[in-house]
Amino acid sequence: MKISQNWLQIFFDVQLPDSQTLADALTFHAFEIESVEGDVLDVKVTPNRGHDALSHRGIAKEISAILNIPLKGDPLREPVSLEPKTDIVKVTIEDPKLCPRFTGAYIRGLKVEPSPEWLRARLEAVGQKSINNIVDATNYIMFDMGQPLHAFDVEKLGKKGESYAITVRLAKKGEKLIGLDDKEYRLTSSMLVIEDANAGNVVSIAGIKGGKPTGIDETTTDMFLEAANWNGVTIRKTSQALKLRTDASERFQQVISPELAARGIRAAVELILQIAGGELTGFIDEYPSSQKPRKVSISVEQVNAVLGTNLTKRNIAEVFDRLGFVYTCDEATPHRMFEVDVLFERLDLTIPEDLIEEIARIVGYDKIPAAPLPVFPKKPDVNANFYAAEKARENLIAKGYSEVFTSVFAEKGERAVANKVGGEKPYLRTTLVDGLREAHERNVRNKDLLGLKEIKIFEIGTVWNDGKEMMMLGTAEPAGVREEPLLPSGDTISRYEELPTSTTERYEPFSKYPFIVRDIAMWMPEDPDGVSKALAIFANEAGMLLRHVHLFDQFKKDGRASYAFRLVLQSFEKTLTDEEANAVMQHIYAAVKASGWEVR
Amino acid sequence: MPRGHIHPISSLIREANRIFFDMGFTFVDGPLVESEWYNFDALNVPKDHPARDAQDTFFMKDEPETVLRTHMSNMQVRYMEERVKKGIMPPYRIVYPGKVFRNEATDMTHEAEFFQLECLAVGEDITMAHMRFTIERLMKGMFKDVEIRFRPSYFPFTEPSVEVDMCVTGPDALEKLRDKWIELLGAGMVHPNVLKNAGVDPEKYQGFAFGMGLDRPAMLRWGIDDIRLMHSADLRFINQF
Repeated sequence: MKISQNWLQIFFDVQLPDSQTLADALTFHAFEIESVEGDVLDVKVTPNRGHDALSHRGIAKEISAILNIPLKGDPLREPVSLEPKTDIVKVTIEDPKLCPRFTGAYIRGLKVEPSPEWLRARLEAVGQKSINNIVDATNYIMFDMGQPLHAFDVEKLGKKGESYAITVRLAKKGEKLIGLDDKEYRLTSSMLVIEDANAGNVVSIAGIKGGKPTGIDETTTDMFLEAANWNGVTIRKTSQALKLRTDASERFQQVISPELAARGIRAAVELILQIAGGELTGFIDEYPSSQKPRKVSISVEQVNAVLGTNLTKRNIAEVFDRLGFVYTCDEATPHRMFEVDVLFERLDLTIPEDLIEEIARIVGYDKIPAAPLPVFPKKPDVNANFYAAEKARENLIAKGYSEVFTSVFAEKGERAVANKVGGEKPYLRTTLVDGLREAHERNVRNKDLLGLKEIKIFEIGTVWNDGKEMMMLGTAEPAGVREEPLLPSGDTISRYEELPTSTTERYEPFSKYPFIVRDIAMWMPEDPDGVSKALAIFANEAGMLLRHVHLFDQFKKDGRASYAFRLVLQSFEKTLTDEEANAVMQHIYAAVKASGWEVR
Repeated sequence: MPRGHIHPISSLIREANRIFFDMGFTFVDGPLVESEWYNFDALNVPKDHPARDAQDTFFMKDEPETVLRTHMSNMQVRYMEERVKKGIMPPYRIVYPGKVFRNEATDMTHEAEFFQLECLAVGEDITMAHMRFTIERLMKGMFKDVEIRFRPSYFPFTEPSVEVDMCVTGPDALEKLRDKWIELLGAGMVHPNVLKNAGVDPEKYQGFAFGMGLDRPAMLRWGIDDIRLMHSADLRFINQF
């Protein structure tokens, strides 16, 4: 979520530090920062904080707690009233579980125009396009406080007598809506919609996208503004099914407090009256059962017992103060128990451990010391399967086999996955043999490059056969491919054997291009350094193209030595041609002859 | 006869197991095809959680509520429950590496099949400070000169939850990684609901768990540029280890 520092600043009297300092504060005490560009931070709010932190106000609140600088005022803590009421729009909620609250406001005589400069600038700073003052005002309140809103042009709704009627219900099969994005959406019976009950039309996909026919345009003068609260799961499923993610659906699917709706609509109405004129007729508020207050308790001892710290009652009280929590601390009890009244927007705080997390992150995880684990009362068991696997692994490596892992997915088998991307090889393998055979063939082609006489590989892996999941040991070598079950060791073993681990320091990337093999045989006078002299010539003449040299034949006769080498040539940049390989060999022949040796 | 070569992942697991064994952790193993209960529900991941969407998880065909394990955390409740049934109460200390699955397209840094290692310590007095020590011990064993740091994070199965970054220092570090912070693993104090689901009393016991991919540390340790090499069965790669 994009957060503008200028926007954040309106929540504070004191000047905020620079964006990098804010980014670090959030990174180590709240949320990961995806990027910092100019005065805009891209904040990755964790799923548990989608309830309260997907807004400038939410992030301002975090900054306030982390850096211990007070908020100028918190719109969520101020009292709110939705007065006066109007009954000009009648709202019916069919299932309050799917729509816990629906607030609305009726405004007449407004003027749709371009937004004032400050509003346009704020929205553009966070990557939003300015549309007109009404749409911008609703978007602004969403990015400011976290409550999505939607504006209807009242005159485009069906009127009966002097009133309008809205019903929140599930869509009927076959219903469609042209969205504000001009796309047609086909609705199903699991999707929640807002219906214009007088006209019998769907006018909005609840919490996701408003409809084009009832949207605000330049001619709109009377509007019905909606700020509702929706069931998160329904919104998420609908958004997925329609492949339609909006800033509103992103917030509703994470579940926000129904208390926020009243604050959102009040703030939006005030902003609209200020920038678009008009007159408020009144509010509507359908809120069948209000959110219950909740308390969570934690003691100083519990906090330290989980974190391994020595925090004091004062430390903890300070964290709660910074977070704006209202709490009591019972001095009389030996446990020094804090009882916290959970703020309505903090739907994530339900158990004592949630409070411990708040304390840990505000105090800072760097304050958690490192303490050695207490001595375990008994010796760990040796896992018979792993012991057997390790033993088999070492035995085979000692015999020259190298270890591979191949895919568990296969073209045939007993069991399959239902939803593989692309749909290829959906089965779970019944054998290691196929994968090993294929891997063996691929590696045989690189035998010369690898400098190996023969390719020998093995795999220890899971197969699904005869209704069982089991561990197999498979080998592949020129003589064939075979496998057998890897049986757990039957012995009683108290310790794993000390087996070697890789001593390699660095991996060297290899060329992905084909290689060319050339043999060269030569006569030279007997010389203990003859081979290394020849190797030096090859390295010098072939340079970067020489991948591997292998002396495959040698004999001596009449004071002369004959050596035959196999050279593997390969480029890192391209496929080497025969002509290029021949040219390299010509240079080598020339250098060999220049040394006074004879190419055979 | 020249020796063959160990796969770098097997080498890391061997190394990690040695470090964990000395700290009292038992190596345990479990099924790759797993019930949604052990893979998700028992871990406090609700039915409608985005992680359970089909685009992330392989669901088994014609086997309802069965998946290819998406992490090694399925072993948490499996192991504890089995112990409780035998009447063996905590302390528990286990480590469990293995192959896990994500239903995603593969590229240089993503694989549908990859390796993870997780560990779990539960007792009456296991704290986040013990967790820090254990992670440091493991990372120092694997990377020598290394620093770690915690950042706040969120996982349904731990509370509090942290992300752990690592910074490799010293002359042995890869040039392009030296003194840079790299995201390494997810960790936290086991959520009381997870203990409850295993039949362990969260009022009496608590603990930590952390889980990391093994492909990534291997890539960092040896400077491997493409995760797909790990599963390529290509000796041009493996024979370098």
